[in-house]
Amino acid sequence: MLSVARVTLKGVFRDRVFQGIFMAALLFLFIPSVASLSMRQVTELSISLSLSLISFILLLLAVFLGGASLWKDMERRYSFSVLALPIKRSDYLLGKFCGVALFLLLTVLLLWAVTSLVVFFASGIYPSPRPVAWHYLFLAVFYDSLKYILLVAVAFLFSTVSTSFFLPIFGTIAIFLVGSATQEAYDFIHTPLAKDIPAVVKGAATGLYYILPNFTAFDLKLNAIYGVQVSGQGLLLTFGYFLVYTAIVLFLATVVFSRRELK
Amino acid sequence: MKKYIFLSMLTAGYLFLITPFTTYMRSKPFIEKLGYVPQAEVLKFVAADQKVFLADSLVLKSLFYFGSLAGRSGAELVLPPDYFSLYKTIETAVKLDPYNLDAYYFAQAVMVWDAKRVKEANALLEYGTKYRDWDYQLPFFLGFNYAYFLKDYQNAAKHYQKAADLSGEPLLAKLAGRYMYESGQTDLALAYLSTMEKSARNAAIKKEFQERIAAFSAVKRIETAMADYKRDFGTVSRSIDELLRKGYLKDLPVDPYGGQFFIDESGQVRSTSKFAFHVEKSAGNRGK
Repeated sequence: MLSVARVTLKGVFRDRVFQGIFMAALLFLFIPSVASLSMRQVTELSISLSLSLISFILLLLAVFLGGASLWKDMERRYSFSVLALPIKRSDYLLGKFCGVALFLLLTVLLLWAVTSLVVFFASGIYPSPRPVAWHYLFLAVFYDSLKYILLVAVAFLFSTVSTSFFLPIFGTIAIFLVGSATQEAYDFIHTPLAKDIPAVVKGAATGLYYILPNFTAFDLKLNAIYGVQVSGQGLLLTFGYFLVYTAIVLFLATVVFSRRELK
Repeated sequence: MKKYIFLSMLTAGYLFLITPFTTYMRSKPFIEKLGYVPQAEVLKFVAADQKVFLADSLVLKSLFYFGSLAGRSGAELVLPPDYFSLYKTIETAVKLDPYNLDAYYFAQAVMVWDAKRVKEANALLEYGTKYRDWDYQLPFFLGFNYAYFLKDYQNAAKHYQKAADLSGEPLLAKLAGRYMYESGQTDLALAYLSTMEKSARNAAIKKEFQERIAAFSAVKRIETAMADYKRDFGTVSRSIDELLRKGYLKDLPVDPYGGQFFIDESGQVRSTSKFAFHVEKSAGNRGK
């Protein structure tokens, strides 16, 4: 499994994905200039823009690497040669997942360093009355990476059932959008405003809330930007949620992949 | 060769189109430039993890729009600001990011003076104080709005006290009491505007404050002259001409908004401009 992860990681580097990230990361250079347009919160705006850019880059990576990695191997028939070796299908899949997840973590580490520099520079232009919460900034980036690793797992699950490139890509994007909105929907149906909504719709929304991944929990942007206190219990619960949910998705993916007929 | 001719033709076509295209885009009304902004409740569903970024974009767009109005000719606005769309945009922004200080500051700097939407601005600011519970600026804005615009000194004192507690600046608590009489209103406005102007970073907003300070300074000069006149004659002067003739005013104060100062029946200094720029009637005025 480790060797598959290593090969996957090497493959991602070979595909020059880092060059793509570098191009997108050039946008970081403009953040201090844009943030200086703010009337009252230059530092806060620089954090907000940096975190948004990180999320956007990670979303692209999770969707395209997660959605295409397994599919590409099968399309190029690499999977056949690898699976001819004494390696279990589940190990092969988990190895590939670990390779992509590791690449995401490396990218996050790099982008976190760039963000810290950008925020440090921007806070020098117009210091905020409240000091920058560097530890929250790190937590926000780290939890963002967990969110997108979970999304990679979802993309792998789609890849195991699909013979086409489109289902993993569009399916993952759809899950990301819905998973980012389920908490809002769940909160809404429990307000007096939703009293006229039919019980069936409420039931469906509640069902989806429990079944689909809840990405809102991983969003610590406001805490990092404004230094709003983070609940330690919340962080632990979210981390536990990540471990269990990702494990379930990967388990399902390995079961489907083990039964899949490879042609 | 054919390829280059083709590319040249395409470039010429682009150059031919780009000027009218840019003019068309510039002339679009604010609401069209911004596009239809759905309710914040809807945006929250589709913005995924980019809610804060969306809020930042809405505030910056509002600021750019307001900045673009700085192209004033004389005492006239080239285009009337679409205050209604501005207000709705800012309201959406704070619902997406209730901590966004730029949004509250913009609402305070622009909406209360020009659009006279004091109650709406106060509603936004009070919403903000629930989240930015460490920030003295929002209660400071609220205190001023209650004292100056709404003449609600009880609420003003409450908010100024909160601003004083949060900032550790006890002077703030005395503001409402000190300026609660009509005669002190100009001082209240000047004290507030000077604080705001000093910390304003955006050129358009800073200019807005400077113009208003100039107008209130002129009012203050007339009020001082009126007080001197009353001290000498025991009666209130009824006209600025009289103050000029009798040497209480050296020259006629200029209203930066292009109006003429006068003293109304109650003895208050007013201006025909009502301290707002005259707006040319033109297409695109959708704000009400």
